[in-house]
Amino acid sequence: MVESPRCRPACGTLPHPLATDDLTLVKRVRSGDQRAFKLLVERYQRKVYAVALGMLKDKEEAMDVSQEAFVKVYKYLDHFKGDSSFYTWLYRITVNICIDVLRKRGGGGEAVEFDETQAMDLSEARIGALGSRLGTNPQKSALRRELAEKIQEALGTVPEKHRAILLLREIEGMSYEDLARTLDIPKGTVMSRLFHARAKVQKILSEYLELDEAKSGVGNE
Amino acid sequence: MAGNPACERFVPMLSPYVDGELTPAERVNVERHLSACRDCTGRAADLRAESGLLRVGLDMAVDDVDFKDFAQKVMARVTPEKPPLLERLKLSLSEMFLYQRTAMVSSLATAAVLALVGVPLLMSERAPVGYAGERMTVKAIQPYQDARVAPVVMETDNGGTIIWLVDDEVQNGASPSDEDDELQEDVGGLRNGGRQPGRKPKTDVERPSGGPL
Repeated sequence: MVESPRCRPACGTLPHPLATDDLTLVKRVRSGDQRAFKLLVERYQRKVYAVALGMLKDKEEAMDVSQEAFVKVYKYLDHFKGDSSFYTWLYRITVNICIDVLRKRGGGGEAVEFDETQAMDLSEARIGALGSRLGTNPQKSALRRELAEKIQEALGTVPEKHRAILLLREIEGMSYEDLARTLDIPKGTVMSRLFHARAKVQKILSEYLELDEAKSGVGNE
Repeated sequence: MAGNPACERFVPMLSPYVDGELTPAERVNVERHLSACRDCTGRAADLRAESGLLRVGLDMAVDDVDFKDFAQKVMARVTPEKPPLLERLKLSLSEMFLYQRTAMVSSLATAAVLALVGVPLLMSERAPVGYAGERMTVKAIQPYQDARVAPVVMETDNGGTIIWLVDDEVQNGASPSDEDDELQEDVGGLRNGGRQPGRKPKTDVERPSGGPL
């Protein structure tokens, strides 16, 4: 059970029910409205879980971390100043919990950082292989599904900080500005980490495609 | 890195380019390069495909999860000790009006309409119906002298008519109990307070001669 100072209802000061943007809900939670917090949980549960799952690669752990993230948010809601969006704060908490879990897990390789000033050598990856195999046709669902599963594996090989940034960008569509604020890093670092994370994932997928083509005897398309 | 030396400058810009994070000037430069460089065009296509795949993959993974109890579990962990009953009632009432205002208002309106329509209807069902529902007053009586069964026609003040069929023999001295008068139509008020035709024992009493009362 979490102790919270926000247990006194203030019914008279509740704003209009239609005004349910994040900050309004946060204000309601602060005034003791439990239902408002439930709305926030329901609004972000899927995305928080997706981030946790992408980071941890374990469904149960991801579920525990997602719950923990919301509990922490509730507990420290009074520390949220409202200078940034609620969701950047929520994702920041989620990512930090995930990083803690990964560190507790150990595993060594996670701490490895790319040299962010060094240009990525993309010659290892087969240029255009992914784009040409998938194109823009969403009907290629079998391959898409197969690759979507593969990409989850590929994510696991990306260092945790790069993975976090890639997940937040792709799941939430966060701007570089928001990513910088969420992870408390300069915007240049956001660009650099995203670039490296994508290059790494792309390399793994290209290798997989090459292997797949070699197996099926399909040449370059 | 890449065959084209210009690519060294543009490759790091491809990721922010597909994310729409370049300035307009940078974007123009990248697009100019892409129009001349097949490798970088392929790289940009790869980045877009990868981005879509990542989203699809995560969506697939999340779709497998049932979030039905997720919020409940979180709420169970964060809910502090219960406030007093009166406070909880006040809070839940205010929350009902806050989050289900439309439903609450329409329910109250429906209840009010039902009360306005239903209560009078229920009350009216208790009142007598038919002739008994009206209070009628006999205005005039018109006897028919020559008939064997002499009808006595009475007009009521609201335009109705009451007809007594009086046995002429009773009129001429027979016992009222021998032949009950045939009462075609009657009125509650007259039964109670009026003179009943079958109970007209005295032959010396003349039949009403007619005219307004």
